[in-house]
Amino acid sequence: MKNAYDVVVIGAGPAGSIAARTTAQAGLSTLLIEKRQEIGSPVRCGEAAGRPSVEEFIPLDPKWICAEVHRYSVYNAEGDCISVPPEEDTVILERKIFDRELAHSAAGAGAEVVVKARATGLIRNGQGVEGVKMVVQGEPREVQATIVIGADGTESQTPRWAGLKSIPQLKNYYSAAQYLMTGIDIDPHICQYHIGWSIAPGGYGWVFPKGDRQANIGIVIWTDPKETKTAIQYLNEFIAARFPGKSILAQVVGGIPVTDVLPEMATGGYMVVGDAAHQSDPLTAGGITNSMCGGLFAAEVAVEAIKAGDTSAKRLKKYEQRWDAAFGKTYRRLFRIRQAVLKIPDAKLNRMITEASKLDAEKMSLKGIFFIVLKSHPQLLLEVAPYFLGQ
Amino acid sequence: MGPQNTDFIVVVDYDHCSYCGACVAVCPPDCITLHDATLIIDTQACTVCKRCIPACPTGALSLAEVKA
Repeated sequence: MKNAYDVVVIGAGPAGSIAARTTAQAGLSTLLIEKRQEIGSPVRCGEAAGRPSVEEFIPLDPKWICAEVHRYSVYNAEGDCISVPPEEDTVILERKIFDRELAHSAAGAGAEVVVKARATGLIRNGQGVEGVKMVVQGEPREVQATIVIGADGTESQTPRWAGLKSIPQLKNYYSAAQYLMTGIDIDPHICQYHIGWSIAPGGYGWVFPKGDRQANIGIVIWTDPKETKTAIQYLNEFIAARFPGKSILAQVVGGIPVTDVLPEMATGGYMVVGDAAHQSDPLTAGGITNSMCGGLFAAEVAVEAIKAGDTSAKRLKKYEQRWDAAFGKTYRRLFRIRQAVLKIPDAKLNRMITEASKLDAEKMSLKGIFFIVLKSHPQLLLEVAPYFLGQ
Repeated sequence: MGPQNTDFIVVVDYDHCSYCGACVAVCPPDCITLHDATLIIDTQACTVCKRCIPACPTGALSLAEVKA
């Protein structure tokens, strides 16, 4: 490890590895640090991702594809279900291998990758960030950097060290728990979503096939101080009701910040990407490929800024503009939908799905189905509309 | 938040903690540190705002009374 780099990336998840690969490919000296002893572990999510989006970054490899998804099925608490094809072809990843492959590709492009290296602070001057304080295998180190990219995940601390407002509000924070289970006999090409306040208040349950009778089964709930049960308690109830007696091979838990768009994602010498920048989809909390886009945009801006010799806050704000141009409009809309859905009482949501489940939905989109349901049941439209229009 | 809460501290139940860091992100005074398999709360810096408690997916965090 050297004492100075053009770019230091903190965190070797998908966003960090793509950022490091991109700056290294452009010829910048790049250091990618990971605090854990193993890249890709522990796994942090349901592992579903859009196939074309993944392919924009890395050619598909059977080594890290567990399943191909042909349909999404959305269930209500009564077991009625709407089944639709996904908007884009979806695959279930083996993140443990996938994350490592991405870090491998960053190293292949010339980035130096170091594990068991934990950032403990940022070195700042009057203009912004100029380096990273870290502990590498127990040894304190200070590394200078022209630009630091924070990709330190949901448990992120680097943005606040850089002086950005990044602490999520509790109402915009999901709490999640997941088991990898075996002996699960489900259609290996269908992703199930289960909604309803009794199942997962403010969130949903999921059953994602991982092939070979295995599945990721999880629950995400909103973080409500009045809530008396935890995500894992809801998950245990979900499992007891639907998959009793099945074996659990792994347990994963975590928090997920969601928002429309974080107002500040850059300052002098510093940008934040991925979960640390709340870049998960605000409705589904899915975020693998979106985070990779965040990493790419930040790295592209870093390359241009270093070439121009200007890493000021003003210059790096171009990254915020680039993110907003690509995701701002969609995320603001999805965030509004989330806020609206949160207010719809269970009974009404249940009825919408029950009505929709009666339709022949073989070739329809989710949007199309809800449009037909609402059109053919004007009373339901009147009941539900205020939750959307009230925003 | 203020002296009325100084008789309580937030404690970790290590039998439940999975070291995911969900609590770290929502802590305003940045007083929680996560290492590989260690979670440390700096009770001097903690304001007992209690935001970390519902954020924890496994219910590993709770309030404990400190007897004088």
